[in-house]
Amino acid sequence: MTSLDLDPSEILERYNVKMEKAMTPDDAAAELYPKDELIRPIAESIYEGEEDDTVEGLKKAIDAGKDPIALIDDALMVGMGVVTKLYDEGIIFLPNVMMSADAMLDGIDYCKSQAKEPPVSKGKIVCHVAEGDVHDIGKSIVSALLRANGFDVVDLGRDVPVDEVIESVKKEKPMMVTGTALMTTTMYAFKAVNDRLLEAGIKVPFQCGGGAVNQDFVSTYELGVYGEEAADAPKMAEAILAGADLGKLKEQFHQH
Amino acid sequence: MTVNRYTKMAYASADDMIFGNSPNPVKAGLDLEIGAGYTTPEVNYAPRPEAGETKEKLVKEYERITRDIMERMVQVGFPAVVLETEHVQQMTNNPTWGGEVANAQKAIMEDYHDEYGIKCALRHTPGDIREDRDYLQLRGEKYNTLMESFEEVASNGADLLSIETMGGKEVFDRAILRNDVPGMLFAIGCLGTMDMEYIWQDIAKVAKKNNVVAAGDTDCAQANTAMFIAGGLLDKNLAHTLAIIARAISAPRTLAAYEAGAVGPGKDCGYENTIVKSIAGVPIAQEGKSSTCAHSDVMGNLVMQCCDLWSNESVEYHGEFGGTTVQCWSESLAYDCALMNVSLQTGQSKNLRDMMVLSDKYRDPQGYILAYDNAYKVGEAIVKDSDDIYLRAKNAAVECVNLLENADPKLQMTRFEKNALADASEALAGLTDDSDKFLSDSLEQYKKEVKVFRPENYGL
Repeated sequence: MTSLDLDPSEILERYNVKMEKAMTPDDAAAELYPKDELIRPIAESIYEGEEDDTVEGLKKAIDAGKDPIALIDDALMVGMGVVTKLYDEGIIFLPNVMMSADAMLDGIDYCKSQAKEPPVSKGKIVCHVAEGDVHDIGKSIVSALLRANGFDVVDLGRDVPVDEVIESVKKEKPMMVTGTALMTTTMYAFKAVNDRLLEAGIKVPFQCGGGAVNQDFVSTYELGVYGEEAADAPKMAEAILAGADLGKLKEQFHQH
Repeated sequence: MTVNRYTKMAYASADDMIFGNSPNPVKAGLDLEIGAGYTTPEVNYAPRPEAGETKEKLVKEYERITRDIMERMVQVGFPAVVLETEHVQQMTNNPTWGGEVANAQKAIMEDYHDEYGIKCALRHTPGDIREDRDYLQLRGEKYNTLMESFEEVASNGADLLSIETMGGKEVFDRAILRNDVPGMLFAIGCLGTMDMEYIWQDIAKVAKKNNVVAAGDTDCAQANTAMFIAGGLLDKNLAHTLAIIARAISAPRTLAAYEAGAVGPGKDCGYENTIVKSIAGVPIAQEGKSSTCAHSDVMGNLVMQCCDLWSNESVEYHGEFGGTTVQCWSESLAYDCALMNVSLQTGQSKNLRDMMVLSDKYRDPQGYILAYDNAYKVGEAIVKDSDDIYLRAKNAAVECVNLLENADPKLQMTRFEKNALADASEALAGLTDDSDKFLSDSLEQYKKEVKVFRPENYGL
């Protein structure tokens, strides 16, 4: 600086530097990989986000007699489990998860192409961006994290009319619906979705979040559960699998 | 209108850059001059959602907002104010709505100006409506509606015309979530700049025709998305080093508005504006500590360093203990400006500037690069190859990385941030200097990877 300088330590605490784990991400991942010599390279390739290596590893495992559908759970989901665990613990960043999810999805496609029977998913979730809103980066993150955790995502895209959300829920019978919105003006579509679902007698948890959306607003409609972060979506889905009803979900995720 | 590239810096040295002063001040509205030796609050607001139900309700809401702000300014004795109306979608989609709002607001501002002599100007920022459900539609019918909206607001009282364009966002959204620095360069530096050149030539024509000011753009859709995803110190969604690389790349993109005819003041959420000001010498609006009503950032004081307008970003209109939100925030902004203006008049401005900078410079890699001394260096890297939109964006990214790799040890970074920086450095080192090759390779790659990417949007 030209006229002033200072030691910033008295005015600033870099909590992220202070809190950083001693272990590197690669070291942390290495501790979590499975031991099976056919499975480990697949899990590593998922962690590294290398699609080609994932498919290569799957080929070898299938050639050696592994069942393609079993490999989804036994190898791909195990590798993704390493990634999501490290993300949850703050050891790796979201882009790593996105790249790993890309590799995992390619791997699932390959496994499906090699199998006779379709795989059984943990559960189906309908994702959408509120009607009138074209900002979809939040929805893309939510979808990727759900898929990364083994859920089957029906991605309706952005600016989705309320009617289309309702039709999709009736058709797909999901365990959860997610909605994202950037603007206060568009998030009111969530209320309409809520009302139409109730009219149809469907009491599915409706996870809402994004930009201007807050817990106060989401609490104004019955099916709404507020997700402060995209990473809350798979946690809510897991909670539903574990038996949580709407009341329990709100208790767990509404924190303000 | 033609595109005139900036080939040199507006300032002889970074130390010459200061708030309230720009080499090319801009006269606007009712006796206001921006960047002419004083700073001015710029108040930004959003109507309550239910006010958008009809045109009549919306006009009334903006009348209340405008009267509230003007009244508070004179009640507390502030000499100048800018109001920014960022359109809700229905105002841009129905150009006459925006025109009527501008007309109603300006009438109130004129009354206050006539009665009290308060200097004031009205900025209107139509929404970038150029998209449909599945694709960006940067050119075509929606473009025509957008231009009609500019025409309506300009002919009905808006003094400053702005927009937050979205060119390149479809590719950027994919790239930023995958640490893809070449993709960020293509999205912001190339596609974003191409779109800016196209739209700003037309906005400048509208401004000239109506004798108002073409005021500039911001890379909100991309660089602010990166900043928002990066979040605070403990968030793990994006390395802050990546967010500031996106910001550095956004500077030559935002500069393109001025190369196509805009004169400023730049838009408040363009945190890249300090870099832009170092090159173009235009006045800029900025937001920081007084925009916490809209979002958090890690450089709340620092960004005030070179501002000419000081903004609160956006606040929904409703009541608070101290009055309506627009009254509370306008008053806070105006007190901030009073302090800056006192420092200018007492010869203390550089000390105040440097204190604001030093309070945040080491908080985060983003503040470190945007501190005016480093911002100036990024500006120099941009003008070095100013005739080549790819190379100047690449230069900005490379300079940003160099500055961080050789940063003052007072800037602490986590291992994650350093790793992301090293990966970005390696990716940049592997890039060609041949623009045609970069463009054609990127075009092929992202046509495959991003299904909603339509090259024809950019004349490609």
